[in-house]
Amino acid sequence: MQHLTEEQLVSHYYHDGDAPFAPQHLAACDECRAQFDTLCGVLTLVDQLPIPERGDAYGDEVWTRLRWKLGSNRRRSVYGWMSIAAALVVAFIGGILWHARTQQTVTPQTVAAHNTPPVAPAAQPAAIASASKDRLLLVVVSDHLDSSERMLLEISNADAKHPLDVASESKRAGELVASNRIYRQTATRRGETRIASLLSDLEPVLVELSHAGSTLSPDEIAALQKRIDSKGLLFKVRVVSAQVGGHEAPATVPQKGMDSL
Amino acid sequence: MEMTTDLAVVSRARSGDADAFRQLVERHSKPMFRVAYRMTGNEHDADDVVQETFLRAYKQLRHFEERANFGTWLHRIAVNCSLDLLRARGRADKHYGGDPESAELAGAAAARTDAQQDRLLMSADMQKHVAAAMELLSSNERTAFVLRHFEGMPVEEIGKTLGIQVNAAKHTIFRAVRKLREALEPIVRSTPCNT
Repeated sequence: MQHLTEEQLVSHYYHDGDAPFAPQHLAACDECRAQFDTLCGVLTLVDQLPIPERGDAYGDEVWTRLRWKLGSNRRRSVYGWMSIAAALVVAFIGGILWHARTQQTVTPQTVAAHNTPPVAPAAQPAAIASASKDRLLLVVVSDHLDSSERMLLEISNADAKHPLDVASESKRAGELVASNRIYRQTATRRGETRIASLLSDLEPVLVELSHAGSTLSPDEIAALQKRIDSKGLLFKVRVVSAQVGGHEAPATVPQKGMDSL
Repeated sequence: MEMTTDLAVVSRARSGDADAFRQLVERHSKPMFRVAYRMTGNEHDADDVVQETFLRAYKQLRHFEERANFGTWLHRIAVNCSLDLLRARGRADKHYGGDPESAELAGAAAARTDAQQDRLLMSADMQKHVAAAMELLSSNERTAFVLRHFEGMPVEEIGKTLGIQVNAAKHTIFRAVRKLREALEPIVRSTPCNT
């Protein structure tokens, strides 16, 4: 009698259909039956490989770690688009300058003959550069506001009866403070008073959070929530974020603090 | 209240609703951890795989076909992430000479006497031996075995996942089972099996 091969035994174990004659053979052959029982013993033992338990809050923990990464991915993506946009703007301006210079050197007589008023070559590129800077400011501020909004939400939704672990938020707030200052100064310089005002309201909260250390006490949470609430900060951030991001503002009844927007 | 279907939540997540994606993460994290742990055999690696799985899913959400099952789609991503990690670890192990403790455990298991086997059968270390035996598998062998044995995936699918032919996938599973048998047979009693 020809015995079953190891492969055929494994196939039979997993019902792969490669050894349809295996059941009859195993019923008749003690040697193969013993081999098969040993195989079953080994694979039954493997089934006992323990899997560490993950509690009901595991999904929430994964999300907490994940959301910052999702944010940074989005930022990377925005920066990627910004780089492309900046390269295009530079190429466009370069093209205009080259064109203007070529026109001047090659056909000055033509210009004179047509008695066209002189054109300041730098005026047009400067206007384009200014417009593109405005657009870039809006894009980066939109992203900055998204990150700030997530942080404000975290604090606003926290239970003020218990301490809150904010180690990662605190670190992130420190980074946001630095960028907030730059965006506020730029917005002020460029006459974007609404954005400048919002960033100005946002800054103390971010500073406070960045100095919070790893844990916020219930009193600190309550104080921060009060500050966020009294200025209607979360809502302002959402509205301005939607506006600078080119989206519709949320359809919500205006809240306190909105009059300054 | 009836739970919103994955499909409805995916649709919201695709339109940029972060809260919807959060729901998907909360629903599927535990099953993804289980498959990741079985494949990597390491708790921290499994946590990393779960995170990487959702990151990839988030980036590829627009490629998800609505006819498909989201859990199955996510499962495939988790398997690929685990495989990437195993392959990377395989390269690192080759570089550093592998985990000597695991190899020693599995090797020692093969040399036990009968008396030692009896003691081992009663020992809580049995699970350690299984874990150590699993460590003896190459990344492809471990993946193929886990997918066939624990996940019940057909051999054809396993071949596709590993990027190999069906016959090669079958042989990979055989090799994995043979290695496990060699490492664990000395400490296992045969189990009458009706399969």
